[in-house]
Amino acid sequence: MNFDLLFEKAKAAGIEDIQITYAGGTELEVEVFNGAIEKYQIADSARLRAKGIYDGKMGTVTTEIINEDVFDFLVESIVNSAKVINSVDEVFIYEGDKEYPEVEGLFNPKLNDVEAKRKIEDTIELAKIVKAQDERINMVQAFYSQETTNVLIQNSKGLKLEKKVNVALFGVYAIASDGKDQRTAIEFKFSNDYEDYDFLKLAEVAAKKACSLLGATPCDSGEYEILLSAGASNSLLHPYLSMFSADAVQKDVSLLKGKVGELIANDLITIVDDPFKKQSPKSGAFDSEGVATTYKELVSKGKLTGYMHNLKTAKKAGVKSTGNAVGGGVSSSNFYIKAGDLNYDEAVKSMNKGLIITDLAGTHAGANPISGDFSLQASGFLVENGEIIKPVALITVAGNYLELLKDVTGVCDDLKFNFGFVGSPSLRIKKLVVAGK
Amino acid sequence: MLDKLLIKKVLEAALTTNADFAEVFIEDKFQTDISLLSSEIQSVNNAKEFGVGVRVAKGYQRVYGYTNSQKEEDLVKLATDLAQSFPGEPLNIEFDLKELKKGNTHTIKLLPSEVSIDDKASVVKRADVAARAYSEEISQVAVRFQDYVQNIWLANTEGTYVSDVRVRTRLSINSVAADENTKQSGFNGPGGLWGFEFYSDVINVEEAAHEASRIAVTMLHADECPSGKMPVVIDNGFGGVIFHEAVGHSLEATSVAKGASVFSGKKGQKIASELITAIDDGTIANAWGSATYDDEGNLQKRRVLIKEGVLNSYMIDKLNAKRMNDECTHSGRRQSYKYAPTSRMTNTYIDNGESTFDEIIAATEFGLYAKKMGGGSVNPATGDFNFAVGEGYMIRDGKIAEPVRGATLVGTGSEALLHVDMVGNNLLTAQGMCGSASGSIPTDVGQPTIRLSEITVGGRKGAN
Repeated sequence: MNFDLLFEKAKAAGIEDIQITYAGGTELEVEVFNGAIEKYQIADSARLRAKGIYDGKMGTVTTEIINEDVFDFLVESIVNSAKVINSVDEVFIYEGDKEYPEVEGLFNPKLNDVEAKRKIEDTIELAKIVKAQDERINMVQAFYSQETTNVLIQNSKGLKLEKKVNVALFGVYAIASDGKDQRTAIEFKFSNDYEDYDFLKLAEVAAKKACSLLGATPCDSGEYEILLSAGASNSLLHPYLSMFSADAVQKDVSLLKGKVGELIANDLITIVDDPFKKQSPKSGAFDSEGVATTYKELVSKGKLTGYMHNLKTAKKAGVKSTGNAVGGGVSSSNFYIKAGDLNYDEAVKSMNKGLIITDLAGTHAGANPISGDFSLQASGFLVENGEIIKPVALITVAGNYLELLKDVTGVCDDLKFNFGFVGSPSLRIKKLVVAGK
Repeated sequence: MLDKLLIKKVLEAALTTNADFAEVFIEDKFQTDISLLSSEIQSVNNAKEFGVGVRVAKGYQRVYGYTNSQKEEDLVKLATDLAQSFPGEPLNIEFDLKELKKGNTHTIKLLPSEVSIDDKASVVKRADVAARAYSEEISQVAVRFQDYVQNIWLANTEGTYVSDVRVRTRLSINSVAADENTKQSGFNGPGGLWGFEFYSDVINVEEAAHEASRIAVTMLHADECPSGKMPVVIDNGFGGVIFHEAVGHSLEATSVAKGASVFSGKKGQKIASELITAIDDGTIANAWGSATYDDEGNLQKRRVLIKEGVLNSYMIDKLNAKRMNDECTHSGRRQSYKYAPTSRMTNTYIDNGESTFDEIIAATEFGLYAKKMGGGSVNPATGDFNFAVGEGYMIRDGKIAEPVRGATLVGTGSEALLHVDMVGNNLLTAQGMCGSASGSIPTDVGQPTIRLSEITVGGRKGAN
């Protein structure tokens, strides 16, 4: 597509500068339920986003019909939307950085070369392996999904950046039943190296998790020492990411406003945003504004060092963009609490009376990023004298996320990421309030 | 949109192997989003979406694909590729696409395209002004306006050939109240299957904004909620999310058909208190979750899910009907052409009972009054659900007492509704977005005020 024509039309309409972001690609999804193919989905799609500065304001528009016939509509929309915006923030179209980091392994052509047929057969095989783990596993869903995306950013200041990414995911959802109780577990792994998957390991972990929760009941209400497993911890961290966005700070909706240089967490905690992580589609050399990405510790040994910035928030704060522009705002790339050196089993043994929380549900509703408060449905295991006593479910754990970060007494070595590329190792926490029976 | 002959060609290409069913779904959508923060319009975005989804099936096995292309060669190739999943001889299914049937059940007065962006932005600004005027403790207000026109066309090899237009709009207000110690937020998001007349004929923008601020300010002065098992009175309107999460999702064929729901095989059995009658109705005029046709080309309808405590009907889409050997209830929905349709809720509510609100509170010696609910989630396989209380109060000696915050309710769907011991007579619905297998779709939840004799309440303050 010749975007120069669009740029010319924009200029003629009085748009000072204009940038397009094109993202297009293919998708393959396979789902197997109890041995049969439940879902097979293929797709080929693209989306074009354009933004332009008109009268000092940034107008935006999006289209899935991508041809030269829509250029007039794009220009008109940008102008009309800019006319309504009355934000006084300075806006930018970026001419580009001198250098961009080399990010290897974003695209692996071998992944796309593996035939769809083999991917389907392997998904069926994965489901079989899970089922074979334990006779109490009565239903298994196995899934494979693969995405290949081409991104092009081009603007009227001469910037042109391209990136090609592919990633695949194998996962399982296991339902265990003992005739009376039914429990579920989900396990998955991302990679764009097809030979990188260990089905047996995925199966073992999922089956063990679902079965070991059978017969779970609420524990007594009260305060407990907590071992928040890596999977539960990353799902809890996710809704609180926005606290680290300079946009949220500047709009006074972040609890971390004015806290740079202060200890906001126990000194065992280091939090990182890493755009260079391997096997993640969120990795890359540039952000959505075309700014070179950077690796940064936002929290170093408990101390808040800064926020994530785009061009606009950086200008306001008088700092450099950290390369965290996502769409029109600020967000993370691969965001995680760094692994520590505590062994998970040792952490269990260290607890006198406590709870291991393996799952948290409802974080989209029960975790409030503005107050930091959370109250969430949880399941896991009761521990006494370092031994697991029984599985626990239908309880809630409640607290405040910043207080939780301060109350961390141990960080495990088992860093794990969720579907949104937010990661955490298991964390041992002084106490949380538990509601059960 | 796409020519009928072309659609027929695509369907025929899909049946060149052993498949017994094919469907083409075409979507053309235009959406406008306006967002405001710090009393300034921050962004305005128009989005033009277009795509075609092709579904091919044999029995209840199906495959799906989509593309943005309108070209014949691309569409026929997609259908042919999908057909390869069902190797074998073609079944020579003959079908005819007759006159296009156009959905027209819901009347729209002012189409989004007939209203200027300035007029839309002024609604957003009014909401901001009103939300801030409510109290000096309001420190920040975020407002989002959304409207769209979704045109869909659906054709299948059973001869279905329909089109539908869904015009929807929603105004979401998020108010933040702050003091030196904490920040608390309040949300209100009215919407419907309406055009711009929604903001003059249906809702009062200022009142809607006040409501969000009222919740934020109330919660700023609230105590932490105690935890433990106790009676809970859940108010009408968005309180209906308890039914949606605790029971509704587990009545969708998506989980029932696989035997993966706690309610699989329980039709005709008592699954709730006899005070409960619950309905899913996709025909309510101009309701947020309504449409003329579902996303499989069937006319939307009203389904009585639970009648006086007894499970009466599941929500079933076309393919799951074959799998369950039950009737399709016209419940196929999807977010967009990027999703194959599956069974979903529309406007789902618990019907009116006989108690008044005052009677319910007066009959409760101690407990939690959940006036506004937040969102929640459920695991259909275990039935375990949770949801957040946006605005809560303690009930003491039959009277509403101090406000409390940070409460979450957890329970098991198979039991929760058995514990309902009072149902009010003040049915009200509210709008939400529901996320599941076929994407995020607009749904109404609703109920009159109800009381659960006992449920687990989680809060930061320990047991009473």
